[in-house]
Amino acid sequence: MSLTRRELLKFSSIAAVALAATGCSLTEPTSENPESMGSVGMGTPAELAETDAPKVVIVGGGWSGLSIAKYTKKFAPNAEVILVEQRTEFMSCPLSNLWVVDAIKLEFLMHDYLQASRENNYTFFNATVVGVDKTQKIISTSDGDIAYDYLVLAPGIDYDYSEWTSDPVLERRLRTEYPAGFKPGSEHISLRNKVLDFEEGNFILTVPSGNYRCLPAPYERACLIADYFKKEGIEGKVILLDENPNITIKQDGFRSAFEKLYGDYIEYLPGSKIINFDLDNKKVETEFGEIIEFADAAFYPKVRGSKLLEIAGVAKDSRFNKMEADINVFTYEVNGYPEIYCTGDARPMGFSKSGNTANTEGVYVAKQIAAKINGKKEMPAWESPLTICFSAVAMEPILAISINAGYAYDEKQKAFGFTDVYANEKWDGRVGKNNGKGLMEWAKGMYRDMFNA
Amino acid sequence: MKRRSFLKVVSATGMMIAINPSMINQVLRADDGRLYKSYARVQLLNAEGTPMTEQMLETSENYVFNYPYEGTTTLLINLPNESAKDVSLKDEFGEAYLWKGGVGSRRTIVAYSGICPHQLTHINKKDSFITYRKKGERFEGHVVCDGHTSVYDPEHGCKVMKGKAPQPMASIVLEVGDDNTLYAVGVLGPDKYHEFFKSFRRELKEQFGSKRNAKKEVVSTAVAMRLSAYTQEVIQL
Repeated sequence: MSLTRRELLKFSSIAAVALAATGCSLTEPTSENPESMGSVGMGTPAELAETDAPKVVIVGGGWSGLSIAKYTKKFAPNAEVILVEQRTEFMSCPLSNLWVVDAIKLEFLMHDYLQASRENNYTFFNATVVGVDKTQKIISTSDGDIAYDYLVLAPGIDYDYSEWTSDPVLERRLRTEYPAGFKPGSEHISLRNKVLDFEEGNFILTVPSGNYRCLPAPYERACLIADYFKKEGIEGKVILLDENPNITIKQDGFRSAFEKLYGDYIEYLPGSKIINFDLDNKKVETEFGEIIEFADAAFYPKVRGSKLLEIAGVAKDSRFNKMEADINVFTYEVNGYPEIYCTGDARPMGFSKSGNTANTEGVYVAKQIAAKINGKKEMPAWESPLTICFSAVAMEPILAISINAGYAYDEKQKAFGFTDVYANEKWDGRVGKNNGKGLMEWAKGMYRDMFNA
Repeated sequence: MKRRSFLKVVSATGMMIAINPSMINQVLRADDGRLYKSYARVQLLNAEGTPMTEQMLETSENYVFNYPYEGTTTLLINLPNESAKDVSLKDEFGEAYLWKGGVGSRRTIVAYSGICPHQLTHINKKDSFITYRKKGERFEGHVVCDGHTSVYDPEHGCKVMKGKAPQPMASIVLEVGDDNTLYAVGVLGPDKYHEFFKSFRRELKEQFGSKRNAKKEVVSTAVAMRLSAYTQEVIQL
């Protein structure tokens, strides 16, 4: 049962008094109460209708959160579902590389949270989460506190600059002057302006190690920026510095595109980790001692789980990245808190951090939550997420390559690996054009699913 | 608008009742249901306007006709193998229904909605990502929607074989008339017409002048033509 508004108010008042008496920070955990990390925000309840329905609160309005909100309400119509998201509008990261080079309109990527909530009968609550009290089952937001029966944390990634620098000034400069462009919004607008205004010289892109968001995207971005330079007659070159020893996915397709389409426009340097940034002189140094000058750049650092996971006290280093979700990898339940789920790109499993994966995983998690709400004795059997991943290598017409894969658990390795993989890496001729059309149709279908647009 | 009366095909307790196509001349429908809906008995014609018989359908070829609405397509196939009989299928909420099988002398003629129940990718004049796969093609013998790689078995009521579609493709119920010509009479299974009309209102307005025109029910006859003639591009990935 949900806490009533009165109970929530009571809790908030007690918590506020307790904090005042001890002089504790509002956001730091105490050793006496490690589970109430960042537990108090406004100290007042959020302006939401009070009901007795089981309350499912989903934090994060990306592909995962949107999918879980829709399907939880669909599978458990009696539940009250609230999607908490700090942005006021949705911008798609998938396909954004095409917008960066002006090949599609911004309207294609932008979508309306209100429509999604209206069409799918859940509540959109526009606020930032600042704390999670797992004991009291309350989240604190910038617009008040919300009690939950089930909580889904789908906050996505943050960037991890620690392997590049420990200097906060340099990190801030990298974030501001050379944003990675993998968290939609201002980063993408900055990147697009950099590309469209580019005059000449080297444009550096980087590929991090670990399980970063959207494995093929840096290679796709290199192709599309190169295509833009080619089309506009810009005397520029994309320098792609890859920390990995080889292209991480769709190797044949990208490598042949680099060679056959962009031989004069892309320089691919595998195994190249940057060890020194000289931003004032626009130079970087790699592990091999190479000094590379650049006119502009987008530096993509390693990724980690969103800091919200730490605030909630549910973060743990995974085998790939720092501070990802500490969950049961089959049920997505937080270890020790079966009413809390962590999903999407914050998950620790080696799944592709991509849209279709998050969407299909979200449907499965929604079934899990709905089964509990509906009082089912048996939980739904584990379902593999499905990764459907198109990458454009040229823009007029859009030529693309793709890969589809599911996942299977390897008991010996104690890890998931790809299964049932189908790669379609031919980008030329009719196949490439069809893949390009498939890319657009895929995206339209996914937006329809999440927004009923 | 003409009011329909409805017949509950599958009861709330899950008891399953077979649909007999001969019953479908009447207007049948589950009150709350998504499982069977009768539409006008529409005779299929070939591109020249001749009433279509089994013999006119090339085996494994993709044919399309508009049914049950002017703005919705149906995929018609003469399968190489006899279809199964009395296949029990379930919609996404677990409600069961019975697919009786194909029609024709070898029960090889089947028809399915041209709207994928996964993400509403559909056959239209501009392109089709939905095709029946012929021998030698990837997923041969299956209906595939390449929008999101959903694979269906047309010999078994288009049940889901692969991908994330939550339910089978809706089946268009066919009859063979006394004159050996083909008729479409209704839709069996979970159709997505409501969602389709809602999601594609702009496109339908462009193509039909208004959504209302696209929602007009087909009456009397429908032309079944090869998919390659109906759509500008047949796309298989």
